Amino acid sequence: MEKRREPALSPLLLAMRSVVKTFGRSTAVDGIDLDVPERAFLTLLGPSGCGKTTVLRMIAGFETPDAGDMRLDNTPLAGVPPERRPVNTVFQSYALFPHLTVNDNVAFSLKLRGGVSDVAARVRRALDAVHMADFGDRYPHQLSGGQQQRVAVARSIIAEPRLLLLDEPLSALDRKMRGHLQIELKALQRRLGIAFVYVTHDQEEAFALSDIVVVMNRGRIAQKADPQTIYSRPADSFVADFIGNSTLVEGRIRERRGDTATIDTPLGNVTAPVADGLAAGDAAMLVIRPELLSTRGEGAATFASTVSNSVFQGERTVIQAETAGVSLRFAAEAPCPVGASISLWLDADRSFITRIAA
Amino acid sequence: MTFRQRHLALPVAVAIVAGCLAPLAVLVAFSFYEVEDFDLIPAFSFRAWGELATSGTDWFLIGKAVLSGLTTTVFTTILGYPVALALTRLAASAKGLAIIVLLTPLYTGEIVRIYAWRIVLGGEGLVNTVLQGIGLIDEPLKFLLFSPFTIGLVLTYNNLPFMVLAIWVSAEMVDRRLIEAARDLGARPIDAFSRVVFPLTTPGLAAGSLTVFALSAGELLTPSLLGGTSGATAMALVDNLFGTAFDWPLASALALALLATLFLVASAMAGLLLRLKGARAVIGRT
Repeated sequence: MEKRREPALSPLLLAMRSVVKTFGRSTAVDGIDLDVPERAFLTLLGPSGCGKTTVLRMIAGFETPDAGDMRLDNTPLAGVPPERRPVNTVFQSYALFPHLTVNDNVAFSLKLRGGVSDVAARVRRALDAVHMADFGDRYPHQLSGGQQQRVAVARSIIAEPRLLLLDEPLSALDRKMRGHLQIELKALQRRLGIAFVYVTHDQEEAFALSDIVVVMNRGRIAQKADPQTIYSRPADSFVADFIGNSTLVEGRIRERRGDTATIDTPLGNVTAPVADGLAAGDAAMLVIRPELLSTRGEGAATFASTVSNSVFQGERTVIQAETAGVSLRFAAEAPCPVGASISLWLDADRSFITRIAA
Repeated sequence: MTFRQRHLALPVAVAIVAGCLAPLAVLVAFSFYEVEDFDLIPAFSFRAWGELATSGTDWFLIGKAVLSGLTTTVFTTILGYPVALALTRLAASAKGLAIIVLLTPLYTGEIVRIYAWRIVLGGEGLVNTVLQGIGLIDEPLKFLLFSPFTIGLVLTYNNLPFMVLAIWVSAEMVDRRLIEAARDLGARPIDAFSRVVFPLTTPGLAAGSLTVFALSAGELLTPSLLGGTSGATAMALVDNLFGTAFDWPLASALALALLATLFLVASAMAGLLLRLKGARAVIGRT
């Protein structure tokens, strides 16, 4: 198996400090700090309205921060209009110019710049990179959604930006096309060596693509980490709830021993790894990911449950079972009859006790 | 024949064709009549057409109508674009108010407006008094009233709302994200206008241009009452020939020649503007 390359130690490309943006009375971005290293694939992940698109628009220069500092290559971005930032954007709606051919769309930035001699060759290369070289003479309305998206990507990389911003670029595409383009985008990013800042509300997409995932909630950064950490050690109950189909069980910490703690929950006492800063007596949340529950196994954390729902989903069956008033969801190989009594085993060592989000 | 949606347009189309072609047919007929002792006599005479063909004045006035229409179109375009684009940036609630304000000049009658201009531009009018008051000029500016300048100014003022409205409707339909995309790709605001906004609003520009051209080329009152010695128009001549001179054949021939000329110029304008890539991207995808 290939070892994961660590993006750490790369020089800093973009730095945002205490950045605030309000629209009227609502605060879209509430004092965030964000670093984007060179060559990183960083994803801003969160529900709609969490401020992720506003962050992207401030980096592009379409919105001006009310407060805070933004630097690209250590140069302040304040007062620099979008056209003078070495940053390009792939828009959610593609935003291809309807009156220009694919070639002219892709050549747009080079023609504006003037004095570029090999425009046609560079357009060709950019279209080649997204497998659209045969479509140069078409107009945008003659292309499918996936093809338009590829052209939008070609158009945004041709000027070789320092940073590429992607605003939910795949959200309008069907599942299969999305999967294809995810793989291509990741490969393209590696090949170009350009840092990507990617906005999405789809955690699977975020995990599949990113070196760094930044989970946002109500204008703040809830957690910034690599995908594995976000998944297995969510910083708070918001992140835990947003990622995956975990069951969150509220309780109180009885005692803490190093990196583990025992939490008193309606399910009983469970001993599991615990987030930093939580101490005995604190209210906390036990995060039970679906894959940590099974009907087979031995150990202290075993719950007597009643099956309340069983949904066949093809490769797996999602079962919902009730224990002491808590609904636990987990995946099983085979359907279970509703009403059956089962014994559920929790792999407590891999579950996590985290703080309750404000 | 089954009924289709487009057949709904039939009654109006028939009315327009009948209401337009019937009078034209009458004009064509009259243009071959003869006049004897203040009586119109049906005949097949080329007298009126011959007179028109050899009259320098008539063709000069027709050319003047075309020129007046074109200059007014150009001026309203230049002034109209900034106004129309500013309108698109207003909040939805402010837009309604702005449109009403924009159209205010049209609510006052034309005669009222014309006399108001005389008061504003006259020798002892508002502009001259103010300029003399602040010491910028010693003598009243004579060219302000009863000059080609006056005609150009007032025709531009009168027709500006039509141009603004037409461009505005078109500009509202330009996706703002296209402008952001252009800026993102290195376009200064002026580049975004010339490469994206202007091409995509050419249908509106075409509609506005045709309206303004037709209205200003055929304008009679403004040149007559504000143009002074330069106020002669083909329209006034037609009016004169039908009325005082009682030369209906020549009046008909002149009216037809004017109509045909304006129609040709307007067709050329429409063809030119609607053939642009931007217009085709908006109104027709073939």
